[in-house]
Amino acid sequence: MLKGIIPLFFCLLFVTYSEAQSEDLFLVHTIPSELMVKANAVVRYDYRSLDISGLRNLNEKYTRIITVFNKQGERNIDAQISYDQSRTVKKLSAIIYNKYGKEIEKFRKSDFEDVSSVSDNSLYDDDRIKYLDYTATEYPFTVKFTYEINSINTAYLPSWNPLEGYYISTQLSKFEIAYNDEVGIKKKEYHLDGYEITNNSIEGLLSYEAKNVIAIKPEAYSPMFKDFAPHLKVTPKKFYYEGYVGYSDEWGNLGKWMYDQLLKDRTQLSQSTKIEIKAMVEGVDDPIEKAKIVYKYVQDRTRYISVQEGIGGIQPIAASRVDEVKYGDCKGLTNYTKALMDVVGVESNYSRVYASSSNTVDIDKEFVTFLGMTNHVILNIPNGEEDIWLECTSQTNPFGYIANFTDDRDVLIITPEGGKIVHTKIYKTEENLQVVKAAIDLDVEGTIQAKVNIKSEGYQYALREGYQNSPLKDQELHYKNEWDYVNNLKVDDISYDNNKDQIIFTESINLSAKNYASKSGTRLLFQPNVLNRVTYIPTRYKKRALDFEIERGFTDTDEFTINIDPSLEIEAMPKSVSISNMFGSYSMHIEKVDEHTLKYYRTRILNKGYYSNEDYNSYRAFVAEIVKHDKSKIVLISKP
Amino acid sequence: MIKNISTIILIIFAFTVQGQNYKLGKVSVEELEEKINPNDTIANATILYKKHDVRFEYRENEDGFFQIISVHERIKIYNKDGFNWATKKIKLYNKSASNSEKLQTLKAYTYNLEGGKVVKEKLKKDGIFDEVANKYWKYKTLTLPNIKEGSVIEIKYEIISPYKQIDDIKLQYSIPVKKYEVYVKTPEYYVFNKLLNPRAAYHPKLETSRRNVSIPFAYIEDVISSKLSNVPALRDEPMVDNINNYAAKLIMELSMTRFPNRMTNSYATSWEKVTKTIYDIPSFGDQLRKKSYFEDDIDALISGESDLGVKTNLIYNFVKSKVKWNSYYGYTTDVGVRKAYKEGVGNTAEINLMLIAMLRYAGINANPVLISTKNNGIPLFPTRQGFNYVICFIENEGFNMLLDATNLYSTFNILPTRVLNWQGRVIRENGSSVWMDLAVNAMSKESIFLNAKINQDFSVEGKVRTSKTNYLAMEYRQRFANISAEDHIKYLEKDNGEIEINNLELKSINDPLQPVQSSYDYNLNGAIEEIGDNLYFSPMLFFATKENPFKQDTRNYPISINYPVSSKYVINVALPEGYEIESLPENFATIYDSDSGKFSYIIKQNGNYLQVLINMELSTTMILPNNYHAFKEFYRQIVENETEKVVLKKIL
Repeated sequence: MLKGIIPLFFCLLFVTYSEAQSEDLFLVHTIPSELMVKANAVVRYDYRSLDISGLRNLNEKYTRIITVFNKQGERNIDAQISYDQSRTVKKLSAIIYNKYGKEIEKFRKSDFEDVSSVSDNSLYDDDRIKYLDYTATEYPFTVKFTYEINSINTAYLPSWNPLEGYYISTQLSKFEIAYNDEVGIKKKEYHLDGYEITNNSIEGLLSYEAKNVIAIKPEAYSPMFKDFAPHLKVTPKKFYYEGYVGYSDEWGNLGKWMYDQLLKDRTQLSQSTKIEIKAMVEGVDDPIEKAKIVYKYVQDRTRYISVQEGIGGIQPIAASRVDEVKYGDCKGLTNYTKALMDVVGVESNYSRVYASSSNTVDIDKEFVTFLGMTNHVILNIPNGEEDIWLECTSQTNPFGYIANFTDDRDVLIITPEGGKIVHTKIYKTEENLQVVKAAIDLDVEGTIQAKVNIKSEGYQYALREGYQNSPLKDQELHYKNEWDYVNNLKVDDISYDNNKDQIIFTESINLSAKNYASKSGTRLLFQPNVLNRVTYIPTRYKKRALDFEIERGFTDTDEFTINIDPSLEIEAMPKSVSISNMFGSYSMHIEKVDEHTLKYYRTRILNKGYYSNEDYNSYRAFVAEIVKHDKSKIVLISKP
Repeated sequence: MIKNISTIILIIFAFTVQGQNYKLGKVSVEELEEKINPNDTIANATILYKKHDVRFEYRENEDGFFQIISVHERIKIYNKDGFNWATKKIKLYNKSASNSEKLQTLKAYTYNLEGGKVVKEKLKKDGIFDEVANKYWKYKTLTLPNIKEGSVIEIKYEIISPYKQIDDIKLQYSIPVKKYEVYVKTPEYYVFNKLLNPRAAYHPKLETSRRNVSIPFAYIEDVISSKLSNVPALRDEPMVDNINNYAAKLIMELSMTRFPNRMTNSYATSWEKVTKTIYDIPSFGDQLRKKSYFEDDIDALISGESDLGVKTNLIYNFVKSKVKWNSYYGYTTDVGVRKAYKEGVGNTAEINLMLIAMLRYAGINANPVLISTKNNGIPLFPTRQGFNYVICFIENEGFNMLLDATNLYSTFNILPTRVLNWQGRVIRENGSSVWMDLAVNAMSKESIFLNAKINQDFSVEGKVRTSKTNYLAMEYRQRFANISAEDHIKYLEKDNGEIEINNLELKSINDPLQPVQSSYDYNLNGAIEEIGDNLYFSPMLFFATKENPFKQDTRNYPISINYPVSSKYVINVALPEGYEIESLPENFATIYDSDSGKFSYIIKQNGNYLQVLINMELSTTMILPNNYHAFKEFYRQIVENETEKVVLKKIL
């Protein structure tokens, strides 16, 4: 059986590789014209061949030929490779060709720049990067980039992305993994339909090929690229990682492995710390109240510092160590918090999550991968219907607050019994509330004075609480930018109330704006929506191609009492408006309390949703309508 | 009695002041108890004490002086936003084994108050990391344990360096410093010039003295010292050219070495000499003299041409298209002009020195100009590091031009804005040099012709034509020359309400010698507001400046603007049928700072048309803090005027 496969397998590798040598791929005029549309670069040939010959033996050969048309396309060259002690670079080279396919420059391994991958928000990382530093002298040009690496870790396998991003098309992309029976491979296809993609896999060899994938352009409010782009995820059934052997057959087992190998013995604490935390929860019975005390204890005593070394890339540093130095990364701080929860008898679970504020990214429940392809760790506290989630890297978050970072997504919780996928808290449209109340005085010159009160809850809390500790000058500037359409804005007084128990942030601001209402002859034009105006209409597309998505819904209500100088008379007022559709709703009306007092009411609700490209124009029209009504004016005229 | 109490208070006060001990490890309860800095209540942290000591030590086995930099700092952290001061990155130059800086000692501690007592914790090895950042630099990174709000930290380290040049010593930080001692002790054999940044708002006092050293042999040491108290924090502001131009610092420039029985060796001491030194560097001066590599190409390029202007233009465009800039700055070449020419890529020196050599070859009087770019700041001292860039200057009668061939859209006297800093140093062929001002005097102009017709449904349609010159044209080209019409239209539509733009046409987008022109048709909804029986609109439509860009109440540092600008709008609006004018904005004119800024707005009715003429001119490029208020007011008036509405009334 096995015998029969080997010759065939070698034969396949040989055929594909010889194709790569084809001189045509270095020429620009041989690119099919449909691949040049909307493209800054074309991947001519991309061939990744992995050979997992044993649990600790991964060999990766990679060849990439890419033609770059302009400056923007240079970022797609992507001639770089990361390495560390477990992952060694065997071969590395790059050749640059001009548009006629003539070789103009050659880079050997030693010609690549070699830098550490310590980033701005990490203190230390033992990963290093070798990258090509090349300045284009003319466009178009072609780069052939090849490398070979050996790795003893087999837990992470690269995904295959025949459409790599926006503004880039692919002429030919191949992806192969040869694996032995001991390791085994699982795969999952995503959005492959509608492309020229073939699956040539046989036993012991996974093999995919894509041809002529044409470039697309980004559009406003697009869903995440991975939500519609073709790609293939692969994972070994059995893997080795920095001294450990594990299985990714199902979440339960994978979680069990993680718990037993990486977490179990990491929660020891010193006797004195145990006594200290126990004393703090004495007399408290409710587990949630205890958890609050522990969370505050951690927030008051630790800070976030990222150090990634060896197994430390996935295993938390010991709780006792965090206890000693009082810092750690997300893994270390979460594990430390869990250790303290254990001491006070509150059940909690270390949980892997993909953290991202702009998009809510799920772990794919149906496809078990090493760590679920996540980038962050939070702490789960089981709590009946709605679990509580703790962000242990924050020194300021309210207890259980995870909006805008790890909310509304599937995560992997790791319990002593094993792993399971759980969905984190969803911040609902009606919870994400902002209420603006204001008393506005308008004088005969058009100058306004206002006392403003803004209350924010749910995910809007996170949008507004950030400025409370900045210098007064910056706080003032922040309001001037927020209400940039109010010229001559002067902020006279600011005060904040941060109610962390109920998670409500309240801002009280006194402000004034000289000549806010503009003069037109004997008239004053006054825009009653002083404090919460939508001014931006989403980009117009002749033909919208991609679907679009609103990731989080919210509700805004505004209520302004407007006192008008007695020497002014109201000549005209905007009519009431009420719009409602699948995207949300908008209503505005002005009530005349008496000759000099008006009440302005406005409600705007935006729903969370995933919409088809066909609906984009009506969404845009909805926003345009709001923009129009938000700047509607009251006409005032001086009394004779 | 009262007298006694005050004496006691005085004694206590004197005790606490003098009692503060700045020896390593002697952190006091008072320092740990402090909740805010009383002199700067918004500071997240304060350097309680810093000692920066530079000295030279003779090493007999190495037969030479080594520079030793000792730093001791004690930092108070008040709140969580100050936690990053507990992490430190020490940068060590690491080019080769013999030419690298080494960290000799490192000690660091965290101090916290526990039960009224000072508890000290040492930084252990596992909190210290070695990072080889790239081929030149090695970092020692450390973070202190047990940091809380209120912690005090101390870090003490010593670096030994084989280099004689002394790095600039920062005297001001983004947080305040309570006590700062600086010592620079140099042996008589190295002569340094010292300078404090004259642009800084904070002026520290320096003391100088001499003393005798006897070990390992007798020589005299020059000592500069400074003991500072309450150094204010340096905080950045928007639209500052480079905040470091305003930071207090001590700059030490090695000007001469004079060893007994040896020739004195003079380094840069004046700009004249600095320039001469640079001129003598092979990767500068020699590069100007090489010509064999281009002779044939240039001969062919300019054959039959006698006009200097035409020749200049041909050569300039030739260099721009032949050699691409690799984004590296420098006044010296890296691979040399010949190789850069052959490979088609080079740094600023390779490109511009090559340009100068070619122009000279063609009989044009071209010379290099040394430049300090904006991010290099304004040099305070004649030093080679004071320059980091070179461009070309053509001096022919009636034909004086600055050129930089690193940017495709630059042209004669229109340079990349990175070089518009301070002044440049022209070097003539005989090696003599003079200053030249780089501030831009020529106006960059834009004219906008806006035609609008208000339809019966109150939508507006019309045509726009624009023309831009000089820097406005360069920036426009940089932004739009390489993007599709579709994306260009998206940019024009952005933030302009319900607008649809069609038929965009560009003229001279790739010819930097001409003004760049654009024209397009538009359809606009929502610009005309119907309230009651009246219509309201701003005649500038989507061109009106909607907000005052200057929002701060006061400024600490000047606002830097790249070049003078003038904008002119000519607007024609066809009024809808069935309406007449109820009121028009008033004609208006204002100025800023005599005539550094001018604005005028003229509107008149002409039958069924409205005609508006708007002129705005700003001839200054630097707004000083004490003029800021007037400048902001100038803009306020402009915004108010441009947004003022025309009122139309229905004819009944």
